[in-house]
Amino acid sequence: MNTKNLVYILKRLGLALLTVWIVITVTFFVMHAVPGGPFLSEKAISESAMRALEAKYGMDKPLFVQYLTYLKDIVTRFDFGPSLKQRGRMVIDIIGDGMKTSVRLGLIAAVLALAVGVVLGAFAALRRNKVADKIIMVITTAFVSMPSFIMGALLLILFVIKLRVLPGNGAAQGGLVLPIITLSLYPMAYITRLTRSSMLDVLGQDYIRTARAKGVAKGKIIFGHAMKNSLIPVITYFGPMLAYIVTGSIVVEQIFAVPGIGRAFVSSIINRDYPMIMGTTIMLATLIVVMNLVSDVLYKVVDPRIKLD
Amino acid sequence: MKKVLAMLMTVVLVLAVFTACGKGGGKTDPAKTDTQVGELNVCLASEPDTIDPALNSAVDGATLITHLFSGLAKWSQSDDGALKIEADAAEELTEGVPNDDGTVTYTYTLRDGMTWSDGKALTAGDFVFAWNRAASADLAADYGYMFDVVDGYAEMQEDTSKTLNVSAPDDRTIEVTLVTDVPYWNELLAFPAYFPVREDVVADEAWATDPSTYICNGAYKLASWTHNSVITLEKNESYYDAASVTMPKINFYLSDDANNMLANFKNGTWQLIDDIPTNEIATLKEEYPDEFKVTGQIGTYYVCWNINEELLPADSGLTGVEAETAREEIRKAIGLLFDRNYIVEDVAQGGQVPASSFVAMGLTDADDSEFYKNAGSSADYDGYYDVSVDAQESNYNTAIETLKKYYKYDEASQKFTNFPTITYLYNTSEGHKAIGEYLQSALAAIGINMNMENQEWNTFLNTRKSGDYSVARNGWLADYNDPISFLDMWTTASGNNDVQFGKGDNASLKHYSLDLTGYGIDVNVKDGTWAETFDVLIAKIKTCTDNDVRYKLMHLAEDMLMDTGCLCPLYFYTDLFMIDDSVEGFFSNPLGFKYFMYTTVTE
Repeated sequence: MNTKNLVYILKRLGLALLTVWIVITVTFFVMHAVPGGPFLSEKAISESAMRALEAKYGMDKPLFVQYLTYLKDIVTRFDFGPSLKQRGRMVIDIIGDGMKTSVRLGLIAAVLALAVGVVLGAFAALRRNKVADKIIMVITTAFVSMPSFIMGALLLILFVIKLRVLPGNGAAQGGLVLPIITLSLYPMAYITRLTRSSMLDVLGQDYIRTARAKGVAKGKIIFGHAMKNSLIPVITYFGPMLAYIVTGSIVVEQIFAVPGIGRAFVSSIINRDYPMIMGTTIMLATLIVVMNLVSDVLYKVVDPRIKLD
Repeated sequence: MKKVLAMLMTVVLVLAVFTACGKGGGKTDPAKTDTQVGELNVCLASEPDTIDPALNSAVDGATLITHLFSGLAKWSQSDDGALKIEADAAEELTEGVPNDDGTVTYTYTLRDGMTWSDGKALTAGDFVFAWNRAASADLAADYGYMFDVVDGYAEMQEDTSKTLNVSAPDDRTIEVTLVTDVPYWNELLAFPAYFPVREDVVADEAWATDPSTYICNGAYKLASWTHNSVITLEKNESYYDAASVTMPKINFYLSDDANNMLANFKNGTWQLIDDIPTNEIATLKEEYPDEFKVTGQIGTYYVCWNINEELLPADSGLTGVEAETAREEIRKAIGLLFDRNYIVEDVAQGGQVPASSFVAMGLTDADDSEFYKNAGSSADYDGYYDVSVDAQESNYNTAIETLKKYYKYDEASQKFTNFPTITYLYNTSEGHKAIGEYLQSALAAIGINMNMENQEWNTFLNTRKSGDYSVARNGWLADYNDPISFLDMWTTASGNNDVQFGKGDNASLKHYSLDLTGYGIDVNVKDGTWAETFDVLIAKIKTCTDNDVRYKLMHLAEDMLMDTGCLCPLYFYTDLFMIDDSVEGFFSNPLGFKYFMYTTVTE
């Protein structure tokens, strides 16, 4: 890695920070502009109680002052404040708890999607237009077009209610199996199709023909030459896949009652739990920005011809 | 073909390997074997906001807290299935002693040898501390107002240095003075807000979020809490009545997805689920006749009008009091159009009871009869109008005749032609939407155009409270068995006065009358404002010491409310849940709290 690349990465990191700051600012003001508030409930609390709560959480100050205080707390102390709804718990702890599960769910789903997708895709390409290829294409078309909430519900009925072989509660032992499968099927099918077409593309290239003509072993052609080059589009898909997994996990966590961050994200908005909304948004924004950066750098690793600037 | 087979085998193998990894190395027990006798798995709701007795305001939180804490009183079930309130931490529930100034003093003695879960002694001082904490404006608990019956509450809201009139002359004696004789006092003692907490424990603001700092004094201890997953309670052997607690361990799974709950109930993992998908109700009632439960809950589902919404046609020529009298008639007439039996049986489908009054079924009158049965003036039916199936047609005709007085009616199409368009506001939910659509269609049939507008929950609350609507969906659940819990919410300054009584144009409208001279109370207002009449009436009820008169005044208050036509009750709430037939000894109270301590699971 030369200095040019290093400068590029630093520049991108700076840009990432800027992006996160914009997200923080926009979210902060939009969130306060939405009608309702964290202390509103079906049974109203008294005026004095409302004032006491607002004073306790610094919400009696002008909005811009609250914004500056919030930024200062994050930058200087990495303090995301207390949750307004779950009294006594800090936002950072709630996010930490949820992330443990969500990251595990998301990572395994991503790895599963990649591994199976690439293998199946390559396999289909090599068996082009044969029965195996056709079966794979039909199945992946089905998975690509089926939304995760339908897939989740189907798996729930089959494995939890009918066969009773897997638990339907994400907190139980083995409870992540169904959510992982549900979450990975779409990207898996997508990667399969992506790998297949890009592999076919590569297999038709001149250098592959040359290699064949030279008598290079078939395995070496596929794994040494074809595979590496056909993976570039798959890496491009890395960013969108992550975005899909992050958003998809919100739905999947709900269906299978997985104690992840997705549910916390949604409920914080319903509850107007301002510090929780900020915390989860910052966390998700950072995650997506960083992963996009990683996937951009990966291009360079796979294909040195790609210029990083 | 061989190749295809080989390929399929490979796919299956790869999938199998990865799914095995997904289990994190653990083996997967079939869900069914998780259930063992001696352990109960239930799911009420998602992660509770808090299980601090003073701060909690949710029903699921209250259920957890009643298992973990022992207040002066508790709910229990007699052998014949009837619910009663009996002494818990107190030796007995004593009678109050009236003082000269109208206040009433109660003296309780704690049972001997009561301890906290960390072994320290439970003292009367812990109750004194807990009550002052729960009532304080500083804590700003949703249920702080539950202490408004205790002498000193009003003063301490204004001046934070003041305290409630509660004291502990010695470690086992509690003396508390109430503003007046409160019929539901024992019930309050069994309410979580009145449970004791210890000063050194709650000094840590995060005490109620972690088992290691959660010190309680009830039938159970908090054994573990995996946030967003499961809360486990284990029997507290040092609880004075541990001998009658039959369930050693309870797992409260945390989920708010009704479909997920149902899946876990159907496969036998969970023995009780407290939420049921609305569209499954009809099927479940048939498939699980013994396990699908409907119990009464003291609450009313109703539609409320904004009192300041103009309903009259532009050319009516009516103003002021005359116009309001007309609007009252119109609102009441529209209330008669709706077929509540249809709503309950075909739309809501949860065993609800058609409502003909605002104060809900389940609240008792002075003589222990049902309050709602004595409401209204008719001897032929309960409440303010007849909700029987047979009466629907005559209700409908009455409504049409009334509306004809104010609007143009086209006999050919049998529709009103100049009723202004109104908008029905509801919070986003399939159930509320379905009911709204029924109301819409019932009105459309006579030419009244009602648009539907849904808002997300928090926005909805905000809009409704600020009176920025014409008609809205509403509901109210009582916190104790006393009709005042349905009435004092409608005073001018109340935070729950969604109708906007005494606000806006209605504030200066001299339209209401109140004559209490017949009850020996020197109040006689003719043509007064809402504040001069209803607010005064509620104040009189709150300080009334004669129980019979007090209940009569409460009927009078409900008459005043119903006379405005602004409240259109649709049905009385029920609590729906599923409980496995292997569970015995379970009961729930009218507030929806569920009691698992005396259950056994037989399998």
